[in-house]
Amino acid sequence: MSKKTINIPLGSQHISLLEPIRFKFVCENEKILEVDSDVGFVHRGVERACTTKFKYDAIPYVVARICGLCAITHSLSYTMAIESLLGANVSKRANYLRVLMVELDRIHSHMLCLSHVCENTGYEAMFMKIMGDREPVMDLQELISGNRIQFDYVSIGGVNRDIDPEIARKIKQTLKELRPKIQDLITEFQNNWSLSLRFKGIGALSMQKAYEFNAIGPLARAAGIKTDVRSESSELPYNELGFELITKEGGDIYARNMVRLYEILNSISMCENIVDGMPEGAIITKLKGKPSGEVISRLEAPRGELMYYVKGHGKAMLDRVRIKTPTFSSIPAFMDIFIGQEYADAPAILASFDPCMSCTAK
Amino acid sequence: MFTQFKKAFTNLFKKPQTHKYPLQEIEKPKDYRGLIEYSEEDCIYCLKCEKACPPGAILFVPTDNPSDNEKNKKDLKYEYNPWLCIYCGECVRACPKPDEALWQSEKKPQIATKEDRVNDGWFEMEALKKS
Amino acid sequence: MKKVEVTLKNVCNVIREFYKLKEHQFLTLNGVAIDEKTIEIQWIFSHYAKVDKIVVFYVEVTEDELIPSIVDLIPSAIISQRELVDMFGVKVQDSESGLYLDEDSMKKPLSLGCAL
Repeated sequence: MSKKTINIPLGSQHISLLEPIRFKFVCENEKILEVDSDVGFVHRGVERACTTKFKYDAIPYVVARICGLCAITHSLSYTMAIESLLGANVSKRANYLRVLMVELDRIHSHMLCLSHVCENTGYEAMFMKIMGDREPVMDLQELISGNRIQFDYVSIGGVNRDIDPEIARKIKQTLKELRPKIQDLITEFQNNWSLSLRFKGIGALSMQKAYEFNAIGPLARAAGIKTDVRSESSELPYNELGFELITKEGGDIYARNMVRLYEILNSISMCENIVDGMPEGAIITKLKGKPSGEVISRLEAPRGELMYYVKGHGKAMLDRVRIKTPTFSSIPAFMDIFIGQEYADAPAILASFDPCMSCTAK
Repeated sequence: MFTQFKKAFTNLFKKPQTHKYPLQEIEKPKDYRGLIEYSEEDCIYCLKCEKACPPGAILFVPTDNPSDNEKNKKDLKYEYNPWLCIYCGECVRACPKPDEALWQSEKKPQIATKEDRVNDGWFEMEALKKS
Repeated sequence: MKKVEVTLKNVCNVIREFYKLKEHQFLTLNGVAIDEKTIEIQWIFSHYAKVDKIVVFYVEVTEDELIPSIVDLIPSAIISQRELVDMFGVKVQDSESGLYLDEDSMKKPLSLGCAL
């Protein structure tokens, strides 16, 4: 006699989802047996717009609007690709300022993911507390670039605004107040008994499976793989700033949370090193010529590795812009993790992947 | 256990973290990115700001009563759409006379109403430009 | 970036000999439209823990040829293959369309021979 199975959807509108994605689970008595997914709900045709409607110097502003959380990584990755096609030499001060904004972006994005995981397991008070602690970081970003979310900070040849000693003092003061709060959070996530029941052993990705599915970002680092674009690419000066590659074992939700928390601490130290050791120089260099040739540039976004392929032939309109976002390459790994888990844990597992569907369905 | 009670007790006397917006104004930071402003007498009509704008919020359209500026050889007039603008400042960086002809102020844009004809008015400008 | 040319017949064997599980990482599949009938398909790989090493295998195809699938070697390639089918209108083995585009939307938007 065959076992009876039911189909339960998680979505495209669900109370635990930030962005539309639809999963169809085939369940037998609450255990998930098969998964089917649909990810293209917010497809806007950005790749076609970049080659038909916008010229190459307007595209940093266009691709920043693919995603709200990793906006600066998109525009920085494209700008680095164009600068290597034009043969540019960006000043050291501009590179340090760019890394400062990318690391502040990483801090606030990881805090949003942690608060979302807590909310999906029922801890709404912790969600409010982490979001409240995240506000000073957004205020810092507004002070440096002028906007809280879409920074419009990077342009071809350097950055748009500079920091003065008053802003530098404010950055150090805010980060000094943030560090003990993150250490309190680490203690809370490690020792709280009911959070450990919901997180330990749930949604695990083993190291062998992570290699097979080419997992990237915190998903891979929590399974034990030592992979991070910040140590695999030499375009930005990370090795001078005290970058540490953080890995944990187990690959479950607890390990992913711990990887994110320790990455926030490392980012805080890197931002303080940047402000202390900021070199002198101009913040923007004028570039001449049009891009011609093809190049691939990679950057570590908060969710994993972001890759841009740009091809031009000497005109203002480019030939091809290919964007590979981190969540896009992780979708097959996500679908495999769900198999064998309980249906009631599915929202918490999904929140711990930190999916960004606007990036996936560009 | 005791840290729990101590934290709960100190939290009784802390201020709330929320702003009472819109009853209480939020302070604008320094160098707030506001509206773009233009001065017609100093403009040299090079059209660099129109080419540099990413969403196309600045247009120079042909007009029947042009200004007296001797550099305005093609009888053009500056039009700006504050609801399409993204306040990035690319036009100011592209302008050859950044503080005299075009600059970024600290004023907030107004909320659009039906009388402003935001979409239809701008589509008419774009049609004038193409013709 | 190192570019290696392959043919449709030997691309699976070349990738099978090249790819080692714990050393190489598959990034994505890419398509570049050369003219109205020809598309260049690229398979992009990188190395774990080595700085700035990227390898690209490429081939030029027309719209009618069938591109072989590498999902049995690299399971995460299925989503890139489905995107290629949607965006360029090419045929890839074991990959169906419908990832981004619906039935009533514009077909193959990134190829140069598309209707718009």
